[in-house]
Amino acid sequence: MSKPPDKDIKPQPLRPLGTISPLKPLGTLGTGRTIGASKPPSGNRSISLTPPAGAKPGPAGAKPAGAKPEAAPAVPATGPVGSVLVVGGGIGGMQASLDLAESGFKVLLAEQGSAVGGRMVQLDKTFPTNDCSMCTISPRLVALGLHPNIQVMTQTTLKKVSGEAPRFEVTLHHEPRYIDTSKCKACGECEKVCPIVETNAFNMGMDTRKAAYKLYPQAVPNAYVIEKKGSAPCRHACPSHVSVQGYVALTREGKYAEALALIRRDLPLPSVCGRICVHPCEEACGRNEVDEAVSIRAIKRFLADYELEHGAPRLPAPAAKRTDKKVAIIGAGPAGLTAANYLALAGVPVTIYEALDRPGGMLVAGVPEYRLPRKVLDQEIQAILDLGVDLKTGVRLGKDFGLADLTGKEGFSAVFVSVGAHTSRKLGVPGEDLDGVIHGVEFLRKAGLGDRTGLAGKVVVVGGGNVAVDVARTAYRLGASSVEMVCLEAREEMPAHFEEVEETLEEGIDILNGWGPKAISGEGRVTGIELIKCTRVFDEDRRFSPQYDENETRTVQADIVIVAIGQAVDPALFEHMGAAVERGAFKVDLVTLETSIPKVFAGGDAVSGPKSVIEAVAMGKRAAASINAFIDGARLDESYDQLAKKVDGRTENAERKPRLKQGKLDPARRAGNFDEVAAGLTEDEVKQEASRCLRCAVCSECYQCVAVCDAGAINHDDRPSDEVVDVGAIVLAPGFEQFDAGKLGEFGYGRHRNVVTSLDFERLLSSSGPSEGHVRRPSDHEEPHKIAWIQCIGSRDSRGERDYCSAVCCMFATKQAILSVDHMPGTQTTIFFMDVRAYSKGFEGYYDRARERYGVKYVRSMISRVDEDPDTGDIEISWVDENGAIKKDRFDLLVLSTGLSPSASVRELAEVTGIDLDRFGFAKTDYFDPMVTKRRGVFVAGVFEGPKDIPETVMSAAGASALSSAVLKDARGTLISEKTYPEERPVEGEDPRVGVFVCRCGINIARVVDVPAMVEFAKTLPNVVHAEENLYTCSADTQKKIAAMIEEHGLNRVVVASCTPRTHEPLFRETCRDAGLNKYLFEMANIRDQCSWVHFDQVDMANDKARDLIAMAVRRAAVLEPLVESPYDVVKHALVIGGGLAGLTAAETMATAGYGVTVVEREAEPGGMLRRMHYEVDGTDPHRHVEALVARLRQDPLVTFHTGSRVVDAGGHVGHFRSTIETPGGRFEVEHGATIVATGAVELRPAGLYGYGTDDRIMTQREMEDRYPGGDIPVGKNGVVMIQCVGSREPEYPYCSRTCCTDAVRNAVRIKEKHPDVPVTILYRDIRTYGLREQIYTRARKLGVGFIRFTPDMRPEVVGASGTMSVRVRDPILDRFVVLRPNLLLLSAGLRPDPEAVTLSKVLKLPMGQDGFFLEAHMKLRPLDFANDGVFLCGLAHGPKNVDEIIMQARGAAGRAGTVLGKDRLYISGQISEVNGDKCVGCLTCVRACPYGVPTIVDRVAYIDPASCQGCGACAAACPRKAIVTHHQSDAQYIAKVRDLFAPPAGE
Amino acid sequence: MELSYYPGCSLHGTSLEYDESTRAVCSALDIELSEIEDWSCCGASSGHAIGGDLALALPARNLALASKKGLDVVVPCAACYSRLRAAQVAAREGKLPEGIEGIRPDIDVKSLLEVVAMPRILSLVAGKVTKALTGLDAVAYYGCLLVRPAYVTGRTDIDDPEDMDAVLGVLGAGVRKWNFKTVCCGGGLALGRADIVERLVFKILAEARRSGADVIVTACPMCLTNLETRMFEGVRAGRISKDDLVPVVYFTELMGIALGIPSVDGWFARHLVDPRPVLRSRGLL
Repeated sequence: MSKPPDKDIKPQPLRPLGTISPLKPLGTLGTGRTIGASKPPSGNRSISLTPPAGAKPGPAGAKPAGAKPEAAPAVPATGPVGSVLVVGGGIGGMQASLDLAESGFKVLLAEQGSAVGGRMVQLDKTFPTNDCSMCTISPRLVALGLHPNIQVMTQTTLKKVSGEAPRFEVTLHHEPRYIDTSKCKACGECEKVCPIVETNAFNMGMDTRKAAYKLYPQAVPNAYVIEKKGSAPCRHACPSHVSVQGYVALTREGKYAEALALIRRDLPLPSVCGRICVHPCEEACGRNEVDEAVSIRAIKRFLADYELEHGAPRLPAPAAKRTDKKVAIIGAGPAGLTAANYLALAGVPVTIYEALDRPGGMLVAGVPEYRLPRKVLDQEIQAILDLGVDLKTGVRLGKDFGLADLTGKEGFSAVFVSVGAHTSRKLGVPGEDLDGVIHGVEFLRKAGLGDRTGLAGKVVVVGGGNVAVDVARTAYRLGASSVEMVCLEAREEMPAHFEEVEETLEEGIDILNGWGPKAISGEGRVTGIELIKCTRVFDEDRRFSPQYDENETRTVQADIVIVAIGQAVDPALFEHMGAAVERGAFKVDLVTLETSIPKVFAGGDAVSGPKSVIEAVAMGKRAAASINAFIDGARLDESYDQLAKKVDGRTENAERKPRLKQGKLDPARRAGNFDEVAAGLTEDEVKQEASRCLRCAVCSECYQCVAVCDAGAINHDDRPSDEVVDVGAIVLAPGFEQFDAGKLGEFGYGRHRNVVTSLDFERLLSSSGPSEGHVRRPSDHEEPHKIAWIQCIGSRDSRGERDYCSAVCCMFATKQAILSVDHMPGTQTTIFFMDVRAYSKGFEGYYDRARERYGVKYVRSMISRVDEDPDTGDIEISWVDENGAIKKDRFDLLVLSTGLSPSASVRELAEVTGIDLDRFGFAKTDYFDPMVTKRRGVFVAGVFEGPKDIPETVMSAAGASALSSAVLKDARGTLISEKTYPEERPVEGEDPRVGVFVCRCGINIARVVDVPAMVEFAKTLPNVVHAEENLYTCSADTQKKIAAMIEEHGLNRVVVASCTPRTHEPLFRETCRDAGLNKYLFEMANIRDQCSWVHFDQVDMANDKARDLIAMAVRRAAVLEPLVESPYDVVKHALVIGGGLAGLTAAETMATAGYGVTVVEREAEPGGMLRRMHYEVDGTDPHRHVEALVARLRQDPLVTFHTGSRVVDAGGHVGHFRSTIETPGGRFEVEHGATIVATGAVELRPAGLYGYGTDDRIMTQREMEDRYPGGDIPVGKNGVVMIQCVGSREPEYPYCSRTCCTDAVRNAVRIKEKHPDVPVTILYRDIRTYGLREQIYTRARKLGVGFIRFTPDMRPEVVGASGTMSVRVRDPILDRFVVLRPNLLLLSAGLRPDPEAVTLSKVLKLPMGQDGFFLEAHMKLRPLDFANDGVFLCGLAHGPKNVDEIIMQARGAAGRAGTVLGKDRLYISGQISEVNGDKCVGCLTCVRACPYGVPTIVDRVAYIDPASCQGCGACAAACPRKAIVTHHQSDAQYIAKVRDLFAPPAGE
Repeated sequence: MELSYYPGCSLHGTSLEYDESTRAVCSALDIELSEIEDWSCCGASSGHAIGGDLALALPARNLALASKKGLDVVVPCAACYSRLRAAQVAAREGKLPEGIEGIRPDIDVKSLLEVVAMPRILSLVAGKVTKALTGLDAVAYYGCLLVRPAYVTGRTDIDDPEDMDAVLGVLGAGVRKWNFKTVCCGGGLALGRADIVERLVFKILAEARRSGADVIVTACPMCLTNLETRMFEGVRAGRISKDDLVPVVYFTELMGIALGIPSVDGWFARHLVDPRPVLRSRGLL
């Protein structure tokens, strides 16, 4: 039921350099509307050489494997919506999605993480079968990823839900992935170049991954993702938005050239800024919170110096001239040079006019050489000029040329005015015009331009800013006998940079703080300066507003006074230009930098007032972008240079590492020369400094991934977006989180190295984990020989917040102990526990095996201390045993069995969806309908409902799908459509004409395998009429090409040599069908996973192997045959066998979904065991529930009851069964598409046990309920004793009956609440009130119910069953016998399989397990299915369980049945086995070999029903007469394939 | 930085060296301590156990005095710290006994250890270390009151505090991992049940030895006194050997060595279990 891919896929328009096309939200549903999305930045983010991140065009319209049809039917304007939103992509969400999609609904699966799979994909094995978790779930992942009606949306959460079932309007929020899943080919190149190493949360932090990563190898969607929290604070702080974290990360990796290139995207003067930048990035550095900022500036300087020392700079090449429109720049300072740089790179002709005789502006005229050596500066400027920039020096605006000339006769299309502030501000005090008074800017300019005229005498510098410091230090170098600075500010208030002040002091320059000049004294020539005490510099609002104390003055002798209190742009310039001016600067449009004069832009100090180099650069960069747009008639977008949101410093867990300081020229050697003071850092130091970076934003925005992504999938400008979708129902399966073991510090997690959590240990066991399946303890990577587990970490904690049992940990730990022994024979394993809760199917036997076969030691205890031996790292555990003695033992490794917590996101989820949570955060649901919330149409599944294991999660998910399906029955099938294909071209009789498509897979295959050679090789193979290579064979354009080639060359067989058929075969088969070719005429050669990937270091052999693989595929292709998949109609009717709670609930669910149901019940009345049950945990009477249910169903026209009846014969297959029912009125046949088996179980009558049958005060729990339905239990004064495990957990019936602990505790509570003073005592082995049932156990203890434990070798004895009844039991805590004399003795009798189930199993050919319950298809993932298609299972027939679980499972079975009945027709697969009757001798081998019980003997030969056959080929392989052929897997095909391997086609 | 200083009785009596080293170290770090005028007993010894209004009123009085100045209060003694914090928490929650007024909610009570472990101060310390404690292995012993109870101290690291470890690390000492950072020394039972207390102290001692520490470092006068006394008496009664001893010192004393403060020798001379031999053997005295 797949749908056509859009035939008319438009190639993605190429993005022009520096613009960004509007973002499409990830996975927009046909109906989706993007709303309120934060606007993606557009316009010119950068005009530097490298195109902006994500700008690179990929293969046009590339689509991944399993591309979904784009044109889905539209959502109707009103009425029910035939789609369901599933929240959570764990196994629960996956199950619900697949069931719903198979039942005729469109599914939107919203997953918060970057891939689906949930927790199950992190597990190694699953209990109790020890199946590999990944192997089990992997086919589901693939099915989900390929399903045409499931749309997987990752990093998606719910923001708003309005409307009501069956029509909700849901606002979804998508977080950006930064990698387009529809383009990503999962080649992993981005990961290889990514410099960011993060701890790998998937492996529980035990190894690392990159910021660009795929969650796990089999992830769906099969695409990479970039973890990027935003942009780092350093980058945000940089006025020019240099990607600081990026170049620091690249530097750490030793990628210096890449780092420098990254800087140059936003800053053309790395060498200059590496020396004199005021580094706002360092002030913003996250490390400031931990210790000190990373020496970012020094790193930058190193990069620039390194480049100069190692050959010619690798500078970006200018673009080809793209326009004749010329731009003039006035002023060759940092702003002008930067603008020139980026305009030139964009291919725009630029001319710079400079008033001085050399370029550099303030860099040359203001910055002293000891801070910025001229050589360095010159080289950097030259690099810019070398881009083809025309420079005219010695020409002054307003004097040598006029502004009007430029736009007029010179013909410039735009002018950028970036004149600096080269005029000193005056003090305005008497004596300022005396001889010997100099002004700072002029002084520095003279020195900077090379005038080294010496100074004599004492110099006093007025001012406390950076210029004043420069002046003082320059004066010192020019030979002043002494230099003193005078400034208003106190030392810590001085505007000059702290380090500069320090260096000034080092040079012996005194600073007089807190004084202001009153007058300069002298006659003609300066002799001194009069100072006045400054009492305050800034007012309350930190504005400059000095106040003085007139009474306090002093005079300082001076031969020269240099005034360095500020500078400004020459007012004459403003006057000349005539542009609007405000507060001494041009008034400009802050976005475009346009002045009031057309075509004239301005930036730098002329706009901002005197500021730093990096601010000038930022403006120059902006001016270039703006002018670049302007000359095309456009306007710079408001969002220009907008970064991703600023992230906070990432300080948690940051280790202190001191900042490395660069060396300095000895102060004693600074006088008289202008040698550079700062020495820079060495390469080692720089790497160390770079490794101090805290990676605040995770992704560093280094853009290395963009450069290597051939698919063009990366878009760093991806932004969060919202989308509104209409859905009919919602299933919430948000899953769980592991309890944070660090919260219970006493167990030492995070402190003791060899303490791990159960999930950590699971990753250690996993072959895809951090130690590749070899368990190693963290401290010394030694194999542990003695391992302990502590149970109930964060579970069963009755202090309040966590008073529930996590339901899975007992078996989880048991499994881990067994696997440890399996992995490392001889390992001693100990599990410290409170009760072993092995309550579910197969668990008790697993627990027995663990003890008996694997020697796992179970110690019932409370742990008092967990210590670490400081020498060995061993873990010492102290505990109190049952007799109160303190014990101590040491272990190599301790595993904490951490509990399940509701996901952190559920509070918000509940609020958004309007459902209630319980006090722990689990969803509050109806006891008699565990998936139903208070909001109609919103259902829950999985652990969100309560702690549960995988099969129960699957059951609840299937149940939620059934309930959704019922709500939406009128919209079923409306949003999915059946695809129509062109008529198949007959190929019989044609010679094979094979087309071979060899995939490069980007460079994944091509790097190792010589793809062109493979194409040439393929052409030499027999029957090949066409061969070609593709960059990505799976891309949508290639699909079209394949279709065209089929047409052009008349291909009748297609071979693709690429990746794996596991994920891609369905896609290519679809392509063949679209081109009119039978899909079985396709064959695949796996030259990636099984060749280029695994043999990457053996190129020659890999090429040989690739040739073999291709040749094999071609040979098999030649003998492939078209196969027909014939449809047949589905009978939309279900047969439910069993009329107890399970059967009735299943029937009700099916009927509500609109299907006819026939219920067959053996007894005269439906209702089963529940008719005799009267007390429920929630205080209700289950008897009433079932009575109401029966009454409802009796009214339902879709439901037919047959009581006193049995199924006696069965035939047919999935979708169309025929069963014979024997009723009191006679036999008849019913036709149905699906069967649900719900035959129930019976309560044991414990004759001969504990005096049962000898005294009517001794009865079972159910008998008691039946006898006292109103609750008037005759407890007398002596109360009640209950004995547990009566007939359960015994050698004959080794399983746990699961319900009895809850029943007993519940009944005890009921009695105790009514009779608080009457003793109630429960004699038990383990109290198994698992999951949320734990709360009733706590309640019982609080009410004073007594609990005495016994062991099978010391059972309670019931004596004197007449007269006074007494029960004698040994109390292990008191260590003595206790005699109880109750009024009533209740036996918690176990459940037994229904005795008639065996007969039914024979009629329906259904398997049964050891314990006599029916056996499901797979204990983990198919708990509701039989191996036989179309037959489903629920209730006690499957195994013991409680009422709520029966209902959940019954709903689930109905959901599974819905996947059959939801379809109008089914298809008989082409790949099925067929018996050649002439050869068959009826030996029954196939009958025994078939795992599905399909072959039967008809007329003495085997018959295989095509509709039932699963195509596994087991029969064909087993048949001794070779009488069976499995189509598409025939001997002939494999012989062709293999023969070719051993006898290559040479000579053919 | 300027802080109100609450020395408490120990620092004016049995633990004079803690007071002196605190003042010396703070002075070296430009932390100005202004001792709360007219401070009185915090109630840690018996007042808090008697309960009632007195338990909070005693420390609250000192907080009210400190509030006049408006500076945060630094408390070196762990027991005093605990009481003053308790009063502060009560004040913020409005749970002080009636009639107690004048406590500013914005002033914070900090242990001296917390102050020194602030990233900014720690960086300062790092810059001022003139004699790194290289070669000296130490265990940080927090005892109970510096971190617990969590509702008083507001700390989340009650099982594994790191502040003192960080300080010792910056001083250049080898910080040994051990299991007894916050294990009770029994100080509260020191007079009544010396037998129990001795057992507890010997366990701490044994763990310290096992970790390979040369010194046990503390920030609590009660712990130090208790540990030293039991060790001293244990040796005298022959229950442990002299070779088993591990000296106990205040973290401020070690800071004194590292920061090159001249008066350190006098501080160490006051200890019952003399730390000087081991410090000398490491070249630190």
